[in-house]
Amino acid sequence: MATVPESPKAVSVQEYRRFSSVQRAQHVLLILSFTLLALTGLPQKFAGDEWAETLIAWMGSIENVRIIHHYAAIVLIFVSIAEFIMIGYKIYVERARWTIFPVLQDAFDAFNQFFYNLGMRKDAPKYDRYTWGEKFEYWALVWGTAIMALTGFILWNPILSSKFLPGEWIPVAKAAHGGEAILAVLAILVWHIYNVHLKTFNKSMFNGKLSRREMEEEHSVELELLEQGKASYQAPAEIQQRRKRRYAPVAVIAGAVMLLALYLFVTAETTAISTLPPASAGQQVFAPRTFTPSATRVQLTQTPPPPTATLEPGKPTYTPAPPVSPTASGVAVANPLPADHAGRTVCQVCHATGVGSAPKNPPDHEGRLDSTCVDCHKLQ
Amino acid sequence: MIWLRKSFRRNNGVCSARWLVLGLALVLAAGAALGWAIPAQAQGPTDNEACLRCHSNPNLSMTLRSGEPLSLFVDPKVYHDTIHGTLNVQCVQCHTDIQGYPHPSANYLDRRDVTLQNYKTCESCHPDNYRKTLDSMHQVALAGGNRNAAVCTDCHTAHAVTDPATPRTRIPQTCAQCHSTISDAYVKSVHGKALFDDANPDVPTCIDCHGVHEIDNPTTTAFRLKSPEICARCHTDKAIMAKYAISTKVLDTYIADFHGTTVELFAKQHPDQATNKPVCYDCHGVHDIKSTKDPTSTVSTQENLLKTCRKCHPDATTESFTAAWMSHYEASPDKYPLVYYVNLFYWILIPLTIGALLIFIASDVLRRVRRRLAKQS
Repeated sequence: MATVPESPKAVSVQEYRRFSSVQRAQHVLLILSFTLLALTGLPQKFAGDEWAETLIAWMGSIENVRIIHHYAAIVLIFVSIAEFIMIGYKIYVERARWTIFPVLQDAFDAFNQFFYNLGMRKDAPKYDRYTWGEKFEYWALVWGTAIMALTGFILWNPILSSKFLPGEWIPVAKAAHGGEAILAVLAILVWHIYNVHLKTFNKSMFNGKLSRREMEEEHSVELELLEQGKASYQAPAEIQQRRKRRYAPVAVIAGAVMLLALYLFVTAETTAISTLPPASAGQQVFAPRTFTPSATRVQLTQTPPPPTATLEPGKPTYTPAPPVSPTASGVAVANPLPADHAGRTVCQVCHATGVGSAPKNPPDHEGRLDSTCVDCHKLQ
Repeated sequence: MIWLRKSFRRNNGVCSARWLVLGLALVLAAGAALGWAIPAQAQGPTDNEACLRCHSNPNLSMTLRSGEPLSLFVDPKVYHDTIHGTLNVQCVQCHTDIQGYPHPSANYLDRRDVTLQNYKTCESCHPDNYRKTLDSMHQVALAGGNRNAAVCTDCHTAHAVTDPATPRTRIPQTCAQCHSTISDAYVKSVHGKALFDDANPDVPTCIDCHGVHEIDNPTTTAFRLKSPEICARCHTDKAIMAKYAISTKVLDTYIADFHGTTVELFAKQHPDQATNKPVCYDCHGVHDIKSTKDPTSTVSTQENLLKTCRKCHPDATTESFTAAWMSHYEASPDKYPLVYYVNLFYWILIPLTIGALLIFIASDVLRRVRRRLAKQS
């Protein structure tokens, strides 16, 4: 951090550490997972729109999109678990100042900044380590991730969820998941992109450092504290060492519990079978009312053997019950047809009701068709 | 003809009317095609009267190689009343191999063989419909060696051809000759009952879903994926559905949901790949579709619905799971109010939040522009 005092440009070369390597790694994973979640989530919400279907086609298929979405969600939850442990470390081991937590002053800062921007205040508010805008974004992310994880769990495990929640909560979760997603993506596109890319390109999340000029402009309170040596309270090494030894098992156990919860999140249930049996499984496709359709009217004498072909391989073949014939069983002896019945094809008109002097069908003939009468009742 | 049918459907949306038009067009087309042919064939030794001198004998028959008898009787009265009879179509126009007597010797294995050797004669006057059948499931089965697969005369008959769609109940009865179990299921369905009991002109018969001559294989993945469109043809038609107070949002609400979104995307992007997400008939039944008000419907009560859901979600055991399905309703203050209000909440929250952020950004931009201008001056 060598400075050359006479050049004002060189002063800004002085750099201040802002983010640790772990935080930067978390941020990279966050970019990756958030972008993937947005790219795979929004097309699902807007499926039917052409842009959405183009995106889905690029990723292979809707099933691919869902798989990528699930993996990205796992990464994001993993980042969140790391954040919990990091916060615990900062609070307990480092005894860091609670600079990220919102205070009433943030509301005043926002208000004053707005009017300062409009030229209605003389001085801009001075900021500590995190401005109100940065706190807003951080807590919006925390809140958003919590909502997305909770509703995502419901959508991922609807059967399990419906055991504890009314069924309506599953479409509710879907609505909230989609609404929150749009809010999050728009907030990032508008607020995050403007503040750290357009306004000035703030590289601190990648190289971990802020220049002196950036500190003066945006974090003058913190800079002042730094120069007074009050920005962070560092306990003697042996005390920190003792706290680390105490925190390590807590972190391991808490991490393990959260990872286990993540595992359950992913594997809690098998929502649906992966293959659907054909809707017409077991359906007899070829089941003729009369046997082989005839080219023209035929005097039936002997029933031709029933066809055995079916439309689909693997389906049971059609084997109707053998017709009751007098010779086969030796029991059923059918009345012969009178000679004047030759050529008649309609039987039930008279024999179902016994109209005139026609002999009425015995009850076991119920449902038999005209075309089968002559199988047994032969012409005299 | 397709154009005619489509425009008719578009104007009136009456399913049954297609067949009337088709039948009419068939008669007209046949008439036009035969206009020149009839006078040329009407005279001479091979006119119908000459044939009927022998073939009006009810006892005229022959024995096929299989031993089956083949009646050679043609009832002149029956033939006279058929479409062909009224147009005075001559026997030899179909039986082109016969010029006079004695006839060339026939080489038929059995009765089915008689049909299979002769049905192609229909093509000469009905080439369009004949060619449509060439892509049909029946022809695929026939080409695969299934002799029972239906050909022209199996549905239309050989000598008793009349309008196949009058009355409309004839249609399922025709198909039932070979597909009796399916027909039995259909007859008991909400559609079949309305057709047979009330002569309802709106309900679909077999052909409205399966097509007429170009009948697709309904067991393919492609058919399954595009099947919601078939149901939607009538079920998104406001004029038809208004009569029965059925929602026309059924397709939209299906597509808006997880199941329908997936099926739609598969149909568009991977029509040959199977998906485990259900289509209409997976829940409502294939041929035995019942009214949702019918207590025996697969989707009518929460109990039946759970049973239906469990076909794909076997681990679902509580009825609160079935309540997750919004039953083709759109969320409103009355139906699924929580969903409605959550949507409303975000509908308000998103513009408010993003608007506030944008206003603040605008103020920041204003400050920076002013400062730059001040520096320059």
